[in-house]
Amino acid sequence: MGQQISSALRQSLHRIVLVLASFLPGILAFLAALIVFVLIGWALAALIRRMLIAVRFDERLASRETAGSPAVLADWSPSNSPTLLASRFTFWVCVLAGIALGISAFDASYSGDSRYSTFLFPYVAHFTGAILILLAGGIVARFLARTVLIGAVNAQLQYARFLSHGIKWLVLVFTGAMALDHLNIGGGVVELAFGILFGGIVLTLSLAIGLGSRDLVSRSIEKSMEKPVPLRPTEVDPLTDTETPPRPKLRHF
Amino acid sequence: MSSTTTIADTNFSTAPAPHSVAEVLVCLPSISTAAMPSAFQAIAAAFPDEFVLVASSDIHADAAEFPSLELVLYTSAIADIGWVLATGDYAAAAHIAVERNARAVILLGDDNALIDPSLLRDLADSIRSKNVDLALPRFSTGPSDALVNSALLYPLSRALFGADIRFPLAINAALSTRMAQRLITTTQRPIALNQASSLLWPVSEAAIAGLSVREVPSQIPPPTPPPQEDFNALFTTIAGSLFADIDAKATFWQRARNLPLRPSQPGPSLSSPPEASEEIHAMVESFHLAQGNLQEIWSLVLPPQTRLALKKLAQLSPNDFIMEPGLWARIVYDFTLAFHLRTLNRSHLLGAMTPIYLAWVASHLRTVADDPTRAARSIEDTAQAFETEKSYIVSRWRWPDRFNP
Repeated sequence: MGQQISSALRQSLHRIVLVLASFLPGILAFLAALIVFVLIGWALAALIRRMLIAVRFDERLASRETAGSPAVLADWSPSNSPTLLASRFTFWVCVLAGIALGISAFDASYSGDSRYSTFLFPYVAHFTGAILILLAGGIVARFLARTVLIGAVNAQLQYARFLSHGIKWLVLVFTGAMALDHLNIGGGVVELAFGILFGGIVLTLSLAIGLGSRDLVSRSIEKSMEKPVPLRPTEVDPLTDTETPPRPKLRHF
Repeated sequence: MSSTTTIADTNFSTAPAPHSVAEVLVCLPSISTAAMPSAFQAIAAAFPDEFVLVASSDIHADAAEFPSLELVLYTSAIADIGWVLATGDYAAAAHIAVERNARAVILLGDDNALIDPSLLRDLADSIRSKNVDLALPRFSTGPSDALVNSALLYPLSRALFGADIRFPLAINAALSTRMAQRLITTTQRPIALNQASSLLWPVSEAAIAGLSVREVPSQIPPPTPPPQEDFNALFTTIAGSLFADIDAKATFWQRARNLPLRPSQPGPSLSSPPEASEEIHAMVESFHLAQGNLQEIWSLVLPPQTRLALKKLAQLSPNDFIMEPGLWARIVYDFTLAFHLRTLNRSHLLGAMTPIYLAWVASHLRTVADDPTRAARSIEDTAQAFETEKSYIVSRWRWPDRFNP
């Protein structure tokens, strides 16, 4: 009995050592590939940064933008520098390439079956894609939320913050559902939940805007019927039937 | 690029004299066809004893009635915001002026403005006899007129470029040959980048080139934008263009000297301030709404002490609503710096500034109480505050992080 237990333990230990012996070179190959590509990425990023700084890339790009342009490359860049954006993009592309190559190297050096790598490789790609979707969604949500907030405040809508939050969560929910779908998590449940949540937010916003903008709509209808309506401080008095237009009380320009 | 064709080429010849005789060139870049006859009449009345070149983008048969006018065809630009002069207008006018050896170039940008012959004559005389390189009209304004000029354009131009010009956003302007040559150089780049319709700030260009700038008094009110133009879009475009100009010329204004400070004269005191009008109430309400909603954005732009001052301001009732000129100057400088640093999207930045501008308007109207003397005093105080606080923007521009916690 004791001998059998001891033999079973020795065999288990032997198998573990065998697996470890075949697994470690794979890990080392993965790490080596990753480190080499990180170094290449770092060098390339530094080279690109130096080159773009030398040719004054940021200044040239800024001089091509008009003052009123709504969204430009610099606004989406880290520290508002397209040079930094380009160099970081190069670095991370190299890191991702290193991970992909590392997994392939791991697959080649690992003598066991390749179930892990055949599962891991596409999943890492999907995972990276999902992270990029989340990042892009976060940036777009913040941009749209600010646009709506400022526009609504300047239009003197009392529910400006509510509207801004609504837009932000609409985009975030949409992005989250896309990321989960990309990762094949949840399947039909995510689609159903997203449909309910998205529809709910849209309905809530519609009701809020509809109920909150009654005076705005009535103002618009009254304007079209040429009835005098009180003006906002930034509005100019519309022309009346008289020959010369009445001089507005406030003239901003 | 401008294409010049005399009306002699197009069977509309009214010019009996050789080209070199005409000393004055009048450009009508955006004047409507309906306004052309009165424009020709005004130009002929302004210069009764001399030949004048008139540059227009269309052929007009009405010019035949005025033998002293020689019509020149040219291609101008339509400004992004309509009623003011664009970069392309200056470039086209400058090219014709150099080609035809005109000593004085007058640009009339507004489509609907009444063209005053005496203003045209005064503009041309400033250039020809007073050795001025850029002459701009100083329009007649009431206490509630040209508020963006009073709040932003005039104080910034005066403080940063040392130019005491009340209307730096030119609607009508007169240029000397030197200024025209300077503008040919300056406008090359934006035109090459297909930005002929963008705004150009001639006062700062003249200041940088060391050219002289003068105002010519005019009795007519400042031309206004078409009524269909949206205020928020106009404010964003004009303020954005000015901030971009300041950004581009930072090396100049950081070392330029200020105008000599004028002795401060006490304005007439307001014994019993009138009740705030409905407009002031609406603007204060708009500021309160922004104070409650835009804190997150303002915190990226304004230092804590300025936000605290705005918070205290928001607690005042419309009847006591007064924004100190120094506070407004620092706020404008903070936004100028944020525009330069791209702290946030520039459209967002300028949109977030609009409610604070409305607060300044409310405070200004409250102070002036419809009195022109008091209005002039208030505008002068604002401009002086910008000059006093210039060291603030210079410091922040050089060490932006020093002011943030």
